[in-house]
Amino acid sequence: MENLLKKASDAIMDMDEDATKEVLDEAIASNFDLKQLLEKGLSVGMTELGEQFSAGEVFLPELLTAAEIMQNATKRIETELAKSGISATKKGKVVFATVNGDIHDIGKGICCSLLKTGGINVIDLGRDVPAETIVDKAVETDADIIAMSSLLTTSMHVQQDVCKILEERGIRDKFYVMVGGAPVTQRWCDKIKANAYTENATECSKVVSDYIASIS
Amino acid sequence: MSAKKYLTRMGDASQCEMTADEIISDIKDATADAAKKGKVDPLTKGEMDFIADVIMAPDTMVSVAPGKSVVSTTDIGCYKMLYAAGVPMDRCDEALVRERGFCGDSTDFGYEDYSFKPTKASVDTYEAKQMQNVLDRTTMPVLYGAMPNLGLYTKPDGPVGNWNELLPAGKIKEAREAQEQAVEYAVKDIVYVAEKMYDMGADGINLDTVGAAGDADMLASLKAVKIIKDKMPTLGIEMGMAGEFVLGIHGKLEYNGTRLAGLYPHKQVKLCEEVGCDIFGSVVNTNCSKSAAWNYAKVATLTKPCVEAADIPVHANAGMGVNGMPMSLTMPIDMVTRADKCLVEICKVDGL
Repeated sequence: MENLLKKASDAIMDMDEDATKEVLDEAIASNFDLKQLLEKGLSVGMTELGEQFSAGEVFLPELLTAAEIMQNATKRIETELAKSGISATKKGKVVFATVNGDIHDIGKGICCSLLKTGGINVIDLGRDVPAETIVDKAVETDADIIAMSSLLTTSMHVQQDVCKILEERGIRDKFYVMVGGAPVTQRWCDKIKANAYTENATECSKVVSDYIASIS
Repeated sequence: MSAKKYLTRMGDASQCEMTADEIISDIKDATADAAKKGKVDPLTKGEMDFIADVIMAPDTMVSVAPGKSVVSTTDIGCYKMLYAAGVPMDRCDEALVRERGFCGDSTDFGYEDYSFKPTKASVDTYEAKQMQNVLDRTTMPVLYGAMPNLGLYTKPDGPVGNWNELLPAGKIKEAREAQEQAVEYAVKDIVYVAEKMYDMGADGINLDTVGAAGDADMLASLKAVKIIKDKMPTLGIEMGMAGEFVLGIHGKLEYNGTRLAGLYPHKQVKLCEEVGCDIFGSVVNTNCSKSAAWNYAKVATLTKPCVEAADIPVHANAGMGVNGMPMSLTMPIDMVTRADKCLVEICKVDGL
C-alpha cells in the first residue's frame, strides 16, 4: 500500500502524466482506497513540490504542469468515486484581487494560477481594484471566498475596507476573507477580522482547499 | 523569576518583547532554514551570538566599530525627500541634499516612473538634461537609475502576451514565448537609455529591482549590461536585485549555460560579474511575520556567502522590506541600524 502511495507522490513530483495514469490504473484495478491515494499520495507530492517552489527549487511552469496532472487525476478519481455513489467534492469559487492603490500583481497571478489548476473557480478582478467592486463582484458571482493581495503598506487598508463593507451590508459571514502580500501579517489579519492570512501561493492554495472541503 | 525580556521588533516594525532564549531560538531557526534553501553554510555560533547581542543591546541606535564604516548610496531616483519625507523638493535639489546634507557617497537619479520603458520616451528631451544639471552641481558619482520592469511590455501596457494571464490558462509555451519577446524589447530600452546617459556624462547606470518579474527580467538585465559594458566600458554599472532568489516565471532561461531561475545571491553575483557589473546590490527579503532576530539571521546566512564569492563590491540594499529592514513606511532607527551592523560586521558588505 505504501508503495502505491509513494509511486503516486513521485509521479506528481516528477510531473509524469503517464506514471500518474499508471498508478491510478493500478489503484483502481486493485480496489485501492482512492481517497487515500489522493490525500496521502498525490497530494503529498503536490505539497512537496509547493515547498520546493517556495525555496526556488521548482518554478512556476513546472508547478503548473504538475498541478494540471493532479487536476486530471483528481477528476478521474472523482468519476470512479461517483460510480460507488460517493459525490464529488465541491470546487469552490474565489474572487481574487490586488487591492486599490496597488498594481503589484505577480503574487496574485501565481496564487490564481495554482488555484485554477487545482480546479477552483477563480474570478480574477486584476489589480488596483476598489473595495466596493470586490464586494459587489463577490455578491454577484456568489463566491465562497474573497482573497486580496497587497504589496504596499499604503494599500493594505483597502483589505480592511472590504471587511467593513461586508459588515455594513450584513453579509460578513457569507464570505471567507483571505489576505496576503509582503507587508501583510497574521496580526493584520486578526486586526481587520479577516478569516485567514497566507504567506505564499502554496499556502494560499492549501487554505482555500481546506476551507472548500470544510463547507462541502 | 521570569526571564528578562528585550524590546525588539517584528519584520513589519511592530514592537514585541522576547527573552534571550526566544531570540537565540529564532536566530537558529532562520539560519538553518536559509542555509537549507540557499544551499549554503549556516552561521557559526559566534555569528549567531553576535546577532543576539546586537538585538539585546540597550541602545536605541547601534553602530559599527571604528574602521568598519562602509560607503552609502541611495536609489529610487532622488524622490525620497518628496515622496517619503513629504518635503517639496525638486529631484536635482535632492541630489545636492544627499551629497552635502546626508554625506552620501553616491546617488542614483531617475524618472518618476523609474522604469526603463517610460524613461526612453523622455530621455533625449528631458532626462539627459536633468542629469546634466545634477552632474554640473555635484561632485559625487551619479548613476542613472531605473527598473527593467518587464511587466510593462505585456498587454495591455505593451506588445507581448501577458504571462500572468497565459500561465493560469495553461498556455505555458505561449507564456514562455511572451517572456522571451519581452526580454528583447527591454534590452533595447535599457541600452538606449544607457547610451543617452553615457553621452551626457553620467557616472554610471543603476538597474534596480532586477528579477522582479522573474527570470526573464534578470536575463534582460544581464544581456543589456553585457552590451552596455562592451559599448561603453567606462560607464559604471550597478545591478540591484529584487529578491533573494530569482523567481522562475519562465523557468528555463539560461545565461551562458547557467539557469537563472532559483539563483541565490552568491550565484547571482557571479553572473553579474561575468557580464561586467561594477557593483552588485544583494537582496534578501524581509518576512513581516518573523522577528528582527529571525530576519537578520536569514539575511546574514544568505549575504555572507555572496560577499565571499564576489570579486566586485557588494552594496546590500538597505531599503524598505529587504535585508532586515522592516516593511514600514517609517523605518525605526533601532531596527535599521541593527540590520546595518549585521550586514557590515558579519557579512562584510562593501556598501549600503
